[in-house]
Amino acid sequence: MYKIMMFEGGVYKYTELKELIEDIGGLILQESIMQTETMLHLAFPGEEEREIRNKVKELGGKLHDLPLAGTEIMIVVPSLGKHHSVNPLCDIAEFLRRKGAITNVMGLARGVGKRIAQMTAQEKEIIEECDAAVFVFGDFKECIEEKVKLCEIIEIPYMVVGGPPDLELEHYVGGIGRKTDRMRRKGEIDKLEEMTVELGEILAEKMMEMEEDPLAASPLFIKEMIEMIMPPKAGEELPLVIHLDGLRVKIGEEDEERIMDIEVGEKKLSEICEMKKSLYEGYLLKILPEAVSGGVF
Amino acid sequence: MEVNIEGEDEFANKSYEKICQDAFRNIGVRTSIDHTYLYCNPMEHVFIISVKIGRVSSPVKVGDMTQRGKDKLKITDEKYAPRLLAMLWDKYGKRVQQVSRLEIGLKLEEEEIEALRDLIVYDPRDDLIPRILDGIDRILPEGARVRSTIPSTSRITIIASENPIEEDWKKKAEEMVSVVSEHV
Repeated sequence: MYKIMMFEGGVYKYTELKELIEDIGGLILQESIMQTETMLHLAFPGEEEREIRNKVKELGGKLHDLPLAGTEIMIVVPSLGKHHSVNPLCDIAEFLRRKGAITNVMGLARGVGKRIAQMTAQEKEIIEECDAAVFVFGDFKECIEEKVKLCEIIEIPYMVVGGPPDLELEHYVGGIGRKTDRMRRKGEIDKLEEMTVELGEILAEKMMEMEEDPLAASPLFIKEMIEMIMPPKAGEELPLVIHLDGLRVKIGEEDEERIMDIEVGEKKLSEICEMKKSLYEGYLLKILPEAVSGGVF
Repeated sequence: MEVNIEGEDEFANKSYEKICQDAFRNIGVRTSIDHTYLYCNPMEHVFIISVKIGRVSSPVKVGDMTQRGKDKLKITDEKYAPRLLAMLWDKYGKRVQQVSRLEIGLKLEEEEIEALRDLIVYDPRDDLIPRILDGIDRILPEGARVRSTIPSTSRITIIASENPIEEDWKKKAEEMVSVVSEHV
C-alpha cells in the first residue's frame, strides 16, 4: 500500500529526492516549482518512510502528512448563493485541499429550504462519482434533521457539516453553520481539523473494505502508465484525478479508444477497468477487483 | 445598530446576530439602521424580520469628493468617481474630460465651476430601501421565498416562509412588531 506525503522545500538537490522515490518504487503525483520553492506530492511504499525522511532532512525540507491524498471529495451546499458561498463552502474546500484531497464544489438546483429541499437524480449521480461527499448545511437543527434524508440516498460515504453543535447524527460535525467571513480564527480552524479527522475515518472505513477485495492494480500505478503513453499537455491542470478505486481522466472523445489500449503489466486497461463518461468532467475509470479481472503480472 | 433575535436555538440566534450585523455592514447601510428584530421559527418555517430605519447620511456633493485645481478637479474619494464622471459628461459633454485616473479636466467658465461644486453626486436616500431589501434577502434563509410585507412608515417588516403565509402569521407578526417598536 502506498503512503502519500507532501514535500516542501527548496530546489537544492531536490532531484535527488525524486530519484530516490523512483528507486524505491514510488511515484511523484504532483510537482510544482515556484521560483525557489518546491512542492511535491510523493507516493511511496509505507515501509520506506524512514529512508525518505532521512533524505528530506538532508535537503533541509519538510515532510507533511496528507491524510486525504488520493481522493476526490465533493462538497455539496444547498445553493451557490450568498448564504453558503463563498463562506463556509470555499473554506472547507480549501482546507480539504490542503490535506491532500482534490475537491469539487457543487450547489444543488433545488436544495434550499426545509420541506421543499430536493436532489435530482443527476445531481446524485454526479456526487457519487467522487470518493466521498461533504454536505454543508445551515444553522437550524430542524432543517438539518429534515435535509439529512436527502443525503441518505447517496451510495458513497458522506458526512454532514452544520451549525448546531449537539446534533445526534451519524458523521456529523457541528459548530460551523452559516458564515459571513473567512474561517481563520483558531476555534474555526480546530473545527475544520475535526471535520478532516471525521472524513479521514469515513474514508479509512472504505479503504478497509477495499483491502478485503483488492483492486487489479493501484490507481497510482495506472496513472503512471497513462502518463507514459499520454503525457499531460502544457498548461493542463490535473488531467488525471486519482480516486480510491479508479481515476477521472480528462480526455476528449478522440482519445477514448487509445486510452483503453494502454498496457498495464500484462493486461490492457480495457481488461481491468470499466470506463464510463462522467456527467461532470472527462471519463471515469473504475478498476475491477483482482478477483474479477485477475492480476496484471 | 442594535439587533434582537428571537428563537429557540441558542446557536442559531448567536449566528444570526452576526449575520445581520455583517450583511448590513457589507452593503453599507448599517449606520442608517437603528434596530433590527428577527424572529426565527424553523419548526413551522416562519421568519419575521423588522428593520427600523434611522438617520441617513447627507448627500455627497462634488465639493465633498474633489479638490479644486486650475481648470481641473482632483478626485479625493474614488468610490464616487464613476457617478461623478457620468453626471458631468451628461451635463457638459466633451467640455469635461478625464485626464488621468484621479484628474478631471474642465473647459468651463468660472461661474459654472463654482456652481458645479454644489451638485449632488450621490444621495444615499435614493437607493436606501433597495439596499436594505438586498440585505434582508441575504439574511433570511434562502428557502423562505414566500414573502409578505407589513406596511409601516418607519419600518420594513417582512414575513418569509417556504409555505403559504397564513393570516394568523400576519396578525402575529403585526403584534410582535408593535411590541418591539414600543421598546425601541
